[in-house]
Amino acid sequence: MEILNQISEYLQQGDDDKVFALTKEAIEQDLNPKVILDNSLIAGMNIIGEKFKKHEIFLPDVLMSAKAMYAGLDQLKPLLASKGISGLGKVVIGTVQGDLHDIGKNLVGIMLKGAGFDVIDLGKDVPPEKFVETAKRENAKLIGMSALLTTTMTNMKKVVDLVRKDNSDIKVIIGGAPVSKEFADEIGADAYAYDAGNAVECVKELI
Amino acid sequence: MSHIIRFKIKDIQPEKEVVFKEFGIPKIDLVSEKIQQLYSEAIKVFRETSKPIVIYSEISKEKFQNIFKGEGNNSAETPVDKIFPKADNLILFALTMGKEVSEKIEILFKENDFALGSMLDNIASLSADNAVKKMEELAAKDTKNHEENYLILAYSPGYCGWDISGQKKLFEYLHPEKIGITLNDSFLMIPLKSVSGVLISRKSEIHKFENNFSFCSLCKTKSCLERM
Repeated sequence: MEILNQISEYLQQGDDDKVFALTKEAIEQDLNPKVILDNSLIAGMNIIGEKFKKHEIFLPDVLMSAKAMYAGLDQLKPLLASKGISGLGKVVIGTVQGDLHDIGKNLVGIMLKGAGFDVIDLGKDVPPEKFVETAKRENAKLIGMSALLTTTMTNMKKVVDLVRKDNSDIKVIIGGAPVSKEFADEIGADAYAYDAGNAVECVKELI
Repeated sequence: MSHIIRFKIKDIQPEKEVVFKEFGIPKIDLVSEKIQQLYSEAIKVFRETSKPIVIYSEISKEKFQNIFKGEGNNSAETPVDKIFPKADNLILFALTMGKEVSEKIEILFKENDFALGSMLDNIASLSADNAVKKMEELAAKDTKNHEENYLILAYSPGYCGWDISGQKKLFEYLHPEKIGITLNDSFLMIPLKSVSGVLISRKSEIHKFENNFSFCSLCKTKSCLERM
């Protein structure tokens, strides 16, 4: 479909106006919303993700494309919901209790949505219990946590312990400036992501 | 007695190269015209919305010891524990870029303008770091900085074993609410683009420490060592 390729191209160029207009046109042409989502928006974001991984483009380029993706996705969401079509899986994310720094967590959320996941963003300063309760209630497959302060990293362990206590199969992934793979291993998290792009790869591997 | 100073934006605004480096961009000429425009727009918004200001006060070692002890949640041993008793001078401070710039960042993200939002966030964070450096310079004027190897460094709650709950007593002493900074229930500062801490003045030797504290092995940030 030519229009789907066009949407993908404009998304890669970060042209949100064009993506909005063409997605509207594709919907009016009665194309399947899941096909529009997969073959234009997610396809375009996948290409952007690959280019970013190869250092061919930079984070601001990715974020401009993400804005364009949302211009299309916001139109598709109600149509997808009405047909009961869900994404690749639900993921709960948030900045841990005691920490208000959320820019990294926001970027992870943007990239995960771009990859086709349903993201429940709990925001910042999130108590450990809220991560786990939300994940269980929403039947989410994964919890993603971010921290910037070294003194709040320890709250990540509380979430991991709560998940393990329940013998739940919910996976836990962590990230943030002071966080390391060693720390993730020590607290029993399933993965450590060093940036937003890597977070998407880790999540895809885990669920 | 506390003092309040407003920073000039031109004195704390980060260099373009530094902003791009934060995004993992090694050279300015590698970026597209679109990113260049994005940077220009973010700088414009930053200049319109940020109101950098600091409140600070000298403090005795005895009073600081009580503030540092906080709510009793610090790590058993911390670098600050060992450094501050040797200081010539201690200054408590809290600074902010103001609420407007933090609110603007949130609005941009809500409007899906992630690129501009994160560029502005980056600029505001780097400016706050630069404002701390300005404070270190300011403190140097009133100390023995003419001596060789003299160093004034800032240490903040939330880092290197100084628990974030230490903010409570710091705020009770300094009253940063006078410049619009408040604490939430988790002892976090609002607006977000704010920094608090203590400036410790003395010869550089006292600031040196081995990163073998209990919390160091879990932390991959090595900025503490880089600045010594």
